Amino acid sequence: MSDLRADIHTPHEPELALHIEDLTVSYGDRPALWDIDLNIPPGVLAGVVGPNGAGKSTLLKAILGLVPRSAGHVRLFGHPYKSQRKRVGYVPQRSSVDWDFPTTAVDVVTMGLYGQLGWWRWPGRRERDRALRALEEVGMEALADRQISELSGGQQQRVFIARALVQKPDLLLLDEPMAGVDATTERSIIDILSRLRSEGRTIVVVHHDLQTVQRYFDWLVFLNVRVIAAGEMAAVYSARNLRRTYGGQIALLDENGAAAPDAPGER
Amino acid sequence: MTALLGDYTLQNVMLGAALIGVISGVLGSFAVLRRESLLGDTLSHAALPGICLGFIVTGVRDMGSLLAGALFTAVVAALLMVGLTRRTRLKTDAGLAIMLSLGFALGVVLLTWIQNRGGAAQAGLDSFLFGQAAATTRADLLPMALLTAVALSGVVMLWKPLKLMSFDPEFAAVMGLPVRRIERLLTAMIALAVVVGLQMVGVVLMTAMIIAPGAAARQWAGSLLGMVLLAAGFGATAGISGGLISTLGPGLATGPVVVLVATALALVSLLIAPRRGLLPAWWRRRRRRSHTSTEQILQTVYELAREHGDWRYRVEQGAVDAYHGMITEPQLATLADRGLLISTEHMPDEGPHWRLTEKGQGHAAEQAKRRNERRRWRVRA
Repeated sequence: MSDLRADIHTPHEPELALHIEDLTVSYGDRPALWDIDLNIPPGVLAGVVGPNGAGKSTLLKAILGLVPRSAGHVRLFGHPYKSQRKRVGYVPQRSSVDWDFPTTAVDVVTMGLYGQLGWWRWPGRRERDRALRALEEVGMEALADRQISELSGGQQQRVFIARALVQKPDLLLLDEPMAGVDATTERSIIDILSRLRSEGRTIVVVHHDLQTVQRYFDWLVFLNVRVIAAGEMAAVYSARNLRRTYGGQIALLDENGAAAPDAPGER
Repeated sequence: MTALLGDYTLQNVMLGAALIGVISGVLGSFAVLRRESLLGDTLSHAALPGICLGFIVTGVRDMGSLLAGALFTAVVAALLMVGLTRRTRLKTDAGLAIMLSLGFALGVVLLTWIQNRGGAAQAGLDSFLFGQAAATTRADLLPMALLTAVALSGVVMLWKPLKLMSFDPEFAAVMGLPVRRIERLLTAMIALAVVVGLQMVGVVLMTAMIIAPGAAARQWAGSLLGMVLLAAGFGATAGISGGLISTLGPGLATGPVVVLVATALALVSLLIAPRRGLLPAWWRRRRRRSHTSTEQILQTVYELAREHGDWRYRVEQGAVDAYHGMITEPQLATLADRGLLISTEHMPDEGPHWRLTEKGQGHAAEQAKRRNERRRWRVRA
């Protein structure tokens, strides 16, 4: 117990943007994540793929402390999440909120600054300017004062990304940002993420479309309750890992031509 | 009229009803946005045993102790409900319904027990069922005003957390807000609103006061602040005008009249609010219909056929309806009269289908070509 306490105050694996050790999360009596060990270095654009129910969203929520951990620990830049809150941005699934809420795009983005404002200060001109700049980054400045219920799915997704960007996060976690958006929005989202990576930030994206993983990401995590494989794209993207992650569904993938040949480094 | 406004009882009634309107409008807005409308219902029914307990403990009909008892059991019921849904497989609506009936049954049992025990002092406790506005005295208004002040200052102080939590509770938690604690505080504040209204509106109808002003305001407002202020205004309007209306005739119970006015405001808002109302939406659809020419509908059939690579492709009428967001049968029939479309044989279980005639195909292709040329010119210009 005593060395665990020490763990919290002295940096543990500080050279890694994300360090997860022995993480287990269970809902009721069924483990959603089992004995996860995962390291993600800073400055990569990482994809997390796996079948439905693989625990992809749960992994992000466990990193953010939104679901209780049964075992294991998570370190961000060497420290627990609670002390790194301001360096981490989170983009939840778009369907997780009611978009009929009475508010505008720029107001939603301003809400991303409430944490930095503390309990008592009210957002003012400076906060609005920062929110507008974040909207500009995602190409939404023209719709800043539009009601969020009147935005398309892709526009709502970009508002959500802007809400995370306004905090200037070093680590950005996104849960299925390409789900249910049109091809143009998907393109612009991946452009935004690539630009953030080139600025030295670390991005982790839960992704569902195997057709695009190779093009979009430079780091990949295969997840199915356990971590099947994780590492640089070229080293881990292989038919064998796809099969091990997706099990029987792999036949379908072969038909679509998504499966890669076994990588040269494959044992 | 001025004589009427100078009437002491009426002044009390209107002031009290206005207070109820303001507090339930403000807190009801959050309940409406968080989809917790049933919560107000449960809290008010669970307040009834508390009123009886307050009376049993003090032995007198003192508003302060009655309301304290009401607040106590309402909050206990809310906490039990949360515990019940978290520890068992019960869903929130079931938990709320259970606590609602439990509280109300307990309240009625205690009420009849007190009444059978006799004594003059118990007179009027049953007025809490449907409310009794005329009995409101200046002394009753003080605790109501106090509770309203407490709840409103709570909303002002917790504004940002409440806003974050109402829109996206998960994001609020990520930002480090103690979400559960704030949720409990909000529930307690809604309980305050319910308790303020108990004497005048009663446990049965109080839920309508919580929901109606917020639901009405949502139709008009584009921001949370706007919605909350408007809901307070609607609530106060309902309280004051309901109080006035009930003096017009003998036997018009104030509480129910206030609730009727509030509900009427909500219904009117649902109908006529410019962006979200039913009538403006109907009007927009109608206008779109008159602007959607038969020509455009022919183009839709043509495009659908082209996408399927077969100009004889049978297009389902429902698909054309869905695309234009209106009933397209009259226009389709017109096109058939002009010999551009044919209604085709279809399977017994399917809706009507249409396909292009050779003449229709030629006509639509010609129109599409012209349209594309126009577009090219626009791009160049």
